[in-house]
Amino acid sequence: MHLEKPNFLCLKDKAEIILFTVASASILILFLITVFVFEEGVPAFMNMGLSNFLFGQRWAPYYKSFGAFPLLYGSLMIVFGSLVISVPLGIFTALFLAEYVPRWLGDLLKPIIELLAAIPSIVYGFFGFVFLAPRIMEFFDLSVGKTALTASVILSMMTVPTIVSISSEIISSVPKEYRKASLALGATKWQTLKSVVLPAAKPGIVASILLAFGRAIGETVAVLMVCGCVPEIPSPPWNYFEPVHTLTAAIALEMGEVPWESLHYHALFGLGAILFTITFIVNAVADLIMKKAPKGAVQI
Amino acid sequence: MKAKFVKEKALSFLLAFPAVILLLAFLSIILFIGIKGLPAVNWKMLTTSVQKGGIFESIVGTLYLLAGTLLIATPLGVATAVYLVEYAPKGRVNRIITQALNNLAGVPSIVFGLFGYVFFCRFLGLGISLLSGWLTLTCMVLPIIVRGSQEALRMVPKSFREAAEALGAPKWRVIKDVVLPTATPGLATSTILGVSRVAGETAAILFTCSVFLMKGLPSTPFQPVMVLTYQLYTLLVASPSVSFDRAFAMALVLLGVVVILNIFAYLMRVHYRKKWKW
Amino acid sequence: MEVVIMKAKIEVENLNVWYGNNHVLKDLSIKIPERKITAIIGPSGCGKSTFLITLNRLIDLVNGARVKGKVLLDGKNVYNPGIDPTDLRKRVGMVFQKPNPLPKSIYENVAYGPKIHGVKDKKALDRIVEKCLRVVGLWDDVYNRLHESAFELSVGQQQRLCIARALAVKPEVLLMDEPCSALDPTATRKIEELIRTLKTNYTVVVVTHNMQQAARISDYTAFLYLGKLIEHGPTQKIFTNPKNKLTKDYVNGRFG
Repeated sequence: MHLEKPNFLCLKDKAEIILFTVASASILILFLITVFVFEEGVPAFMNMGLSNFLFGQRWAPYYKSFGAFPLLYGSLMIVFGSLVISVPLGIFTALFLAEYVPRWLGDLLKPIIELLAAIPSIVYGFFGFVFLAPRIMEFFDLSVGKTALTASVILSMMTVPTIVSISSEIISSVPKEYRKASLALGATKWQTLKSVVLPAAKPGIVASILLAFGRAIGETVAVLMVCGCVPEIPSPPWNYFEPVHTLTAAIALEMGEVPWESLHYHALFGLGAILFTITFIVNAVADLIMKKAPKGAVQI
Repeated sequence: MKAKFVKEKALSFLLAFPAVILLLAFLSIILFIGIKGLPAVNWKMLTTSVQKGGIFESIVGTLYLLAGTLLIATPLGVATAVYLVEYAPKGRVNRIITQALNNLAGVPSIVFGLFGYVFFCRFLGLGISLLSGWLTLTCMVLPIIVRGSQEALRMVPKSFREAAEALGAPKWRVIKDVVLPTATPGLATSTILGVSRVAGETAAILFTCSVFLMKGLPSTPFQPVMVLTYQLYTLLVASPSVSFDRAFAMALVLLGVVVILNIFAYLMRVHYRKKWKW
Repeated sequence: MEVVIMKAKIEVENLNVWYGNNHVLKDLSIKIPERKITAIIGPSGCGKSTFLITLNRLIDLVNGARVKGKVLLDGKNVYNPGIDPTDLRKRVGMVFQKPNPLPKSIYENVAYGPKIHGVKDKKALDRIVEKCLRVVGLWDDVYNRLHESAFELSVGQQQRLCIARALAVKPEVLLMDEPCSALDPTATRKIEELIRTLKTNYTVVVVTHNMQQAARISDYTAFLYLGKLIEHGPTQKIFTNPKNKLTKDYVNGRFG
């Protein structure tokens, strides 16, 4: 009698072994990215101390000053600004598409909105640089058009589709039974949406917002061209009419001229490590929220 | 009683506004680039060498970049999807790999650029080259292709597989002869979406494969390449008094390519979903 | 089909319903007596559930459904253009075949109805919740875990919760669409007992495919077949001495 010795992964035949190896490439890649980015970034942390790097207020590479805080602040500032625009816009559009629009129209509009997400970031940057920045400068009577506000607007255009497509999917999949129960009690459509459908959809919507956050904070080229690239915290700190700089833009602008293995080089990798960590955590939290959704809430 | 009714109607009107704003935003980009770019795009621009003010090598370079990336990423992605859907649809292995893919999908493209530089260009010694670009972009586009392929594979009805299995076909044959051919339109769609992503990518290729100016086209994968996105980027960032004509032309070509690819992928998806309503 | 009844709570006159081109209910006229339990029986697909949702206008939400005819609640046609369906549904409540608690706590499920109709005072809501949970016999089981998710209850308890929820808005009529078909025999028995007690205060219309159940709990029975009302009368009579041959065959189990 031929008993197969069960191995850990229960691999059965040659094809499966090959495919498994290929599939685990993704784990390998993630591992390699983590290792190499941190390996090149850690010397910067070691050199000046992690907290000096993270919270140092002066980013002036030519003066050997590598305080990343203005960059971190700038990134967070414009991402926050973009969420302020894209979250209400996104959720209400999702609601509208899922609930108030006939099926055929919704099916037509959703791909158009998804197209917004597919537009290359350089095209967004170009649009922001040539069209939006001058308009903002005019409209608000500023001395520059490249400001945190401009960057926030461009970012919101790029990330709204994420919120809309995931949220509308989630909202549509809230079980009909809940709606019927609510309507049978005499609730209006809006009451049903507000008190039953949206709360049930909450975990999914929150996850979509987190994903939008992750996309926004990692955006490089579009931001670079409209944020102003001035590594200073605006005064006052909530002044969106001033230029800012971001983690991503700094890496993109400075990496090209950096001597191999110099402190500046390591510092840029340090920025990359910070970025990687932030997006990693954000994605992990989004995943967790979806898994731990309360019973009765909708899963993606 | 009437008031409630009116409030409901008013609300459904108000809710239309955000959607309208989004559509307007979309239109403004398309129109702006379209209107200014259309006059600039002509056969001359497309076929003249970059050194003489055209964008020929950038276009071809982009195509080279795309082709290589897809040749590597598509088999990898489809194979991964096949494994996840056909061999390990549930369980710990699936969860770990899916988790890794999700995380990979969330990594900012500039970080891919950094990784690509230090790993492919330096550590593996490939230098700033097409090859480095291909490998870096493969890493970046893998999650997209895997996700799309998974969806395509899942849509193949169970009954098809069961029919082949009942005839005694081993698993790999079922996949090769039944599942993959049936899923091909879906796989093609996911590939198209991958292409679109790569075509528009700038940050990941900034220091891994592209250069601003070089003579002619790369003759081996070990040479760097000129690419539309990077070209446009350096044009706008490095030269303040830029010839906007060329810039608009490039932006329009990029936009056009991406929009057409996405529309095509969408139509394909819709068409095959309808056609195969089993 | 003249039947001598007491005061009719609902009068249906020449009701016709189409789903697209499908003529689902054909010229249905019936009087539902007040404060009695009326059972609607008939083989699957004969229009029983459709009939029910025309009474509270939930059929308005079905794509492609057309309604002609009159449904009079206390003499007024509920399909008149000036009538607000949400007000109607406050007076005519519904319990569904599969228990469908809202994704909220036990307390919130029952309090939901009164809240959306304007009750804001917490004490008033507490009172309503306790009262309704007592009526359905759930209070003793849940009084100390009112803020747990409704999904923690057993299926039978969930259905009783749905009934409590429906009662919380103080309807005059309660529509029940096969309320026990998803439940086991013990839970079914409990719900049947509950339904019997409800008729003192509510007009109840129960759709059921279980004839023994109809015989057990109802005062009047209406037999629907292929969208038409075949016979309607006191339950005793329908089951022991039906006038119509079709009815006789059905209640004797010859088809359906």
